[in-house]
Amino acid sequence: MKPAAFEMVRPADAPEAGRALAAGDGAVKVMAGGQSLGPMLNLRLARPERLLDITALPGLSDCRETASHVEIGAAVTHARIEDGDCPEPIAGMLRHVAGGIAYRAVRNRGTIGGSLCHADPAADWVTALTALGAGVVATDGTGATREIPMPAFMLGAYRTALRPDEIVTAIRIPRHSPAARWGYHKICRKVGEFADAIGAFVADPETRICRAVFGSTGGAPLLLPDLAAHAARTGSPAGLTTVKTALEHSGLSLSAVKIHQLAVAHRRAVEEALADV
Amino acid sequence: MSDTIRLTVNGEDCTATVPPRAQLAEVLRDHLDLTGTHLACEQGVCGACTVMMNGKPVRSCITYAHACDGAVIETIEGHRGDPVMDRLRDAFSRHHALQCGFCTPGMLATARDIVARFDDPDEATIRHELSGNLCRCTGYVGIVAAIRDVAGQRRTEGGRAERPAPAIPARSRSFTRFDPLPPEATPAPAAAAARVSDEGGATVVRRDFTLNHPPETVWALFRDPRSVAPCIPGATLESVDGDRFQGSVEIRFGPIRARFGGHGTFRNDDTTREGAISGQGDDKLGKSRVRGDLGYAIAPGTDAATSQVRVELRFGIEGMLAQFNRPELVAGFVDYILAQFAANCDAVLAGGAAAPARRLSVFAMLWAVLKARLKGR
Repeated sequence: MKPAAFEMVRPADAPEAGRALAAGDGAVKVMAGGQSLGPMLNLRLARPERLLDITALPGLSDCRETASHVEIGAAVTHARIEDGDCPEPIAGMLRHVAGGIAYRAVRNRGTIGGSLCHADPAADWVTALTALGAGVVATDGTGATREIPMPAFMLGAYRTALRPDEIVTAIRIPRHSPAARWGYHKICRKVGEFADAIGAFVADPETRICRAVFGSTGGAPLLLPDLAAHAARTGSPAGLTTVKTALEHSGLSLSAVKIHQLAVAHRRAVEEALADV
Repeated sequence: MSDTIRLTVNGEDCTATVPPRAQLAEVLRDHLDLTGTHLACEQGVCGACTVMMNGKPVRSCITYAHACDGAVIETIEGHRGDPVMDRLRDAFSRHHALQCGFCTPGMLATARDIVARFDDPDEATIRHELSGNLCRCTGYVGIVAAIRDVAGQRRTEGGRAERPAPAIPARSRSFTRFDPLPPEATPAPAAAAARVSDEGGATVVRRDFTLNHPPETVWALFRDPRSVAPCIPGATLESVDGDRFQGSVEIRFGPIRARFGGHGTFRNDDTTREGAISGQGDDKLGKSRVRGDLGYAIAPGTDAATSQVRVELRFGIEGMLAQFNRPELVAGFVDYILAQFAANCDAVLAGGAAAPARRLSVFAMLWAVLKARLKGR
C-alpha cells in the first residue's frame, strides 16, 4: 500500500542532517537508498513524519584511498561496489559480498551506510565489515566526527551506537596485504533472501591478523578469535563439534538448527579462503 | 504537500504533481497511465514492478517520487529503438517465456540488464540474476532460454555486453600459516538470557532475572497492574476493572513504530506468588494484531533481600507486523527490554521513578511482552 504521508527533506550537509534527526525524536528518519526502509514504509510498519534523504550530501558517494585504508562514502550503492567502482582493501571480498546482497535492482539503490545503520542482524555488511576490522565514521550535529570500530557499532537487532544527532558518513576499511585470504559464505533459503547464517573469515599472514565472524545470530555479529586462530595456524577450519561447542558457549540464545547452520557457514568460509593451503 | 517532478519516461518529457510518499510505480500507473508496470508485493521482493531508471533496473515500489526528479525512466511500454529489447521480446515469445504475463514487464527489465552486464551468461548466472523476479507460471525454463538465446545471437555477431563488470581478482596464490596476534579487545556480545522457541505457531520467550528487593515487595508491585505498568517501557494502563484491564503500549524497533491498544484479564495467586495475564490488541494504523499470555512467578533470590523473577511469554502476531516476526531477532531484544523493565522495577521499588519510556525502543514482538505485562498487572 501507499506509505503514510511524510515530508521529504534534503539536508545541505551532514551536521544539518544530524540536527534534524535529533530534533525529530524518532519521528524523523534518514533515508539512504530506502531499500530496507521502503518496504517498512509501504507496510506502514514505519510511519515517520519526515525523511532525510542524505544520498546527495557532499562526499557521501565518494570512495577514497589512503596508504593504510580504503574509505567508502556511506551513500555508495552496493551495485557500485559489486562492479569494482571502489578500491579494494582486500582482493575481491567487497565485490563478492556486495554482489550477494538482495537483487541487482535493490543493489542499484541500496547503500552501504544505509545497510549498516539499519542494523539488520541478517544483513551482509555488518558481518563482512566486522571481519575486515572496519570502522564507521559518524558526524554529529556540530560537525564533530568520530570513528566507531565495527564490534562496538551494532548493539543488537536494529540498534546501533549512533547518538541521536549522528549520521554515518563513511566506512574506513584497513588495507590488507596481497597475501591476505578471505572467505564469505551465507546460507539462504533462496538467493537474495535474508541469510539464515553467515560465516566470514579473513586472515592476513603479513599483519598476523585473523578474524572469524558469525552473522545472522539475531543480534550483532559474533567474533570468535579462537576459531580464527585455529584456522590461521593449521590452514583448515576447526571441527564442526568444536565450532558448535564454541557457539553454544557464546552466551547467545541460538537454536540447535541455527548453531548447525552457523557452524557449516564458518567451515565453508574457511575452506573457501584456504582451499589450496 | 505535493511537489511537481520532472522526468523523461520512454523518451517523453513528463511532469507529475505528487506527494513525497508517491511511489515511482504510482507515478507511472496513476499519473502517466502507464499500467504495464505491475505492483504486487510492494516490498521489493517480487520484482514485478522493476523498471529502468537512468539505465539501471530499480524497484518502482520502493523508489519514491522525490528520487525520480530529473530521472530517465524506461517502462515496458518504452525501450523504443533498443534492438536488444526487441530481440528479448521476440525471444520471450518464441521460448514461451511467459504464461499469465504478470511478471513479464519486470522480467524483461531484468533480462535487459543481464544482457547488458554479461557477455556470455550461463544458465546458473541467469538463474542467479533472476532470483529477484518471481514467476509462478513458467518455472523459468523459457525465460532462461530466451535470455541465453539473445546473448548467443549477439555473441555470434561478435557483439559484447555494454557494461560488463571487471573480473573479480583472484586470491593470493600462497598462504603461509601463522600464529595470529592476540585479538583486539572487543566488547563481549550482549548475552541473551532469554530462551526463545516456536511452539505450535506461537513464539515463546522464557527469561529469569533478579531484582534487588525481597519477594514480598516485588510481588506487591507485580500483583497490582497500576504499580507495575509504569515500569513497562512505552506502556500506558488506561483502566482496571476487577480482573479486566485496558491499556496501550507504544513500541519502537528500529524504524518500526506501533501503538497497540487492547484489553485483557489477569489473575494472581498470592500464596504461590504466581500470576498470569492474557491480552489482545491491535495497531489500527499498521493493521497488525497480537494476542499473548504472560506467566510470571516471583521466588526468593540468593539472599533474603533479592528476588528471582521468572517470566514466560507466549504470543502470536497477525497482519503486517507478522512479516517481520523473525523469532531469532527476539532474544536480543527481549534481553534489552527486560533489562530496562528490571531496572525500572528496581528504581520504582527503591522509591524512584521509571526512566522515561520515550527513550526506549521496544521490539515488535516484544511489545507483546510489555503489553502483556502492562496489561496484566
